[in-house]
Amino acid sequence: MMTYSEVESIAGFVGNFHATIRKKARYVNPKECTACAECTKVCPVAVPDEYQQGFSSRKAIYMPFPQAVPSSYVINMDNCLGNNPLACGKCADVCEKHCINYDDQDELVNIEAGIVIAATGMDVYDPTEYDEYGYTRFDNVITSMEFERLICAGGPTAGHFIRPSDRSTPKTIGFIQCVGSRSRDGRGNPYCSNICCMNTIKDTLLLCDHYPGIEASVFYMDMRAFGKGFEDLYMRSKEEGVKYIRGIPGEIVEDPTTRNLILTVENTTTGKREEHELEMLVLAQGVIPRRDSDQVRKLLTLSTTSDGFVMESHPKLKPVDAPTKGVFIAGCVESPKDVKDSVTQAGAAAARASILLNAGKTKIEAITSGINAERCNFCGICAQVCPYHAIIAPDRKAKRAPVIIQAACAGCGACAAECAQDAIIMRHFRDEQIMAQIEAILERDPHKHLVTFACNWCSYAGGDNAGTARLQYPPICRLIRTMCSGRVDEKFVIHAFRLGAPMVLVSGCHFSDCHYISAVQWTQKRMDRLWNKLEKLGIRPDRLRLEWISAAEGQKFARVMRELESAVKAVTTEEIEFTMKALAEEEIRREEKLAKRTVGV
Amino acid sequence: MAAKETKFKCLNCGHEYNGMYDPKNVTERTCPHCRSNSVRRPQDASAGEEK
Repeated sequence: MMTYSEVESIAGFVGNFHATIRKKARYVNPKECTACAECTKVCPVAVPDEYQQGFSSRKAIYMPFPQAVPSSYVINMDNCLGNNPLACGKCADVCEKHCINYDDQDELVNIEAGIVIAATGMDVYDPTEYDEYGYTRFDNVITSMEFERLICAGGPTAGHFIRPSDRSTPKTIGFIQCVGSRSRDGRGNPYCSNICCMNTIKDTLLLCDHYPGIEASVFYMDMRAFGKGFEDLYMRSKEEGVKYIRGIPGEIVEDPTTRNLILTVENTTTGKREEHELEMLVLAQGVIPRRDSDQVRKLLTLSTTSDGFVMESHPKLKPVDAPTKGVFIAGCVESPKDVKDSVTQAGAAAARASILLNAGKTKIEAITSGINAERCNFCGICAQVCPYHAIIAPDRKAKRAPVIIQAACAGCGACAAECAQDAIIMRHFRDEQIMAQIEAILERDPHKHLVTFACNWCSYAGGDNAGTARLQYPPICRLIRTMCSGRVDEKFVIHAFRLGAPMVLVSGCHFSDCHYISAVQWTQKRMDRLWNKLEKLGIRPDRLRLEWISAAEGQKFARVMRELESAVKAVTTEEIEFTMKALAEEEIRREEKLAKRTVGV
Repeated sequence: MAAKETKFKCLNCGHEYNGMYDPKNVTERTCPHCRSNSVRRPQDASAGEEK
């Protein structure tokens, strides 16, 4: 276990990860430190204690939190007076074990690992932008995290719950739910933070237990007590006399004399406007992805959902697997969850990891890329495109074909689509196989069909969803499944138009849902190129369409089909003939150009 | 190259609007008028970037 450390870099692939970890300088030898606390008694520097949410202070030499592992003090050099030049040195003077070393340095440690489990946790939402709750204006408005410190026996008040303005124990207290969660007004986040309802119920029970007679009110839009035993807890809280008022306060003002808070709320159960005077107010702040989650995402080549949490490989079948092989996820890095769910997920991730580790080898899907070295012109675009860094391209001057790490390749096919030399073979989704499907679709009545490329995970499943939901849409589309829309090569689209397709639709996952991290970005870039190309040839660019359709968007799939039916019908026979002719001529020009180049060589 | 303001055109409804475009970080485009994703950067905006 390496605490007080940060991962600097991770390279490699399943079974062969190389990680560089920065062990930060503690300036205290953890092996010798007995946590006697003599150093902290003499330290003259006092700064707000981050762990205690700023309610108390800590010294420059301090224990980060009571259960820290190892149980050793550290020096925060930004706060310490004793370093370079030595101005204080009091802690070193009193330390009998001589643990303190002001010249300690960060250490870089390299480790080899077969598996990586990301359990980097979450951050909490800062309610400052909800100005109507007065978090920055009123002392007696606190967050649920601050409440935790105030009620905790190890907290700054040793568990005596007091309000910050006058240090008296409040007799009336309110909780506002969903602060920064389930919000659609541009502030906060649209998702439910999962843990806040039960956390508030637990807090009310603690208060009722510690301070019988306290009046607690909870202002909510929905109470979600869905877990095992949670409903009982909710009922117990109600039986203890906690008032649950369905309505989120619109305005809070402070009485300047008593420093009490006056809430105005519409009780949506009674339909009446109510005013509540409370001595203290707790904002049940939501959960957000860690602020440095983008770095974690880049380190492990993970993809994230639109909420910013890490996306799992499959929501039902592989809920703890990351899309990158050999990487697993657990806890709030994946979505907001409570301790029990986090522990369950961590256990599952460890079990999944042990399967791979014990086997000592891994089986991979046969859908991977291969290189035809004879065709390769060493441009290296394939390595740039690969979202998994599975392609290693030597320097162009070396004139050696890239190497594909089969264990790292996930099979999106973006490399094959981008390769202008057709030097990449995408197994099971070869150029010839897809071309044959296009030809079969357009063999009869091509003017009636919409050639549709659909990605396996989202839009193909979206079409399925439309079918199972019995949604009505015109039977014009002929689907060609690819693993990712990133596999759709320019030449597939051109081939379809050359064979008389009135329109072509390319569809894939929304960017935030892409199962191949960033492969959809290449789809978008390619579509831009294709639209330009069509326009140059005098072909209407709007005959080529792009739609992002998720597996749950059967409605959208049906709508797109309905919209495109009229667009398909609007394409005239003359237009199709012109397109076929223009593309045939363009093909001749391309071949002549190629032949000239070959003769030149 | 940093993100810059570009004109986009929806191929479904013809609606034109301005938005940010960063070639290094391509984002999902949705027409604010008809919600279609067939949104194109017109040719003059993407000139010189062809394969």
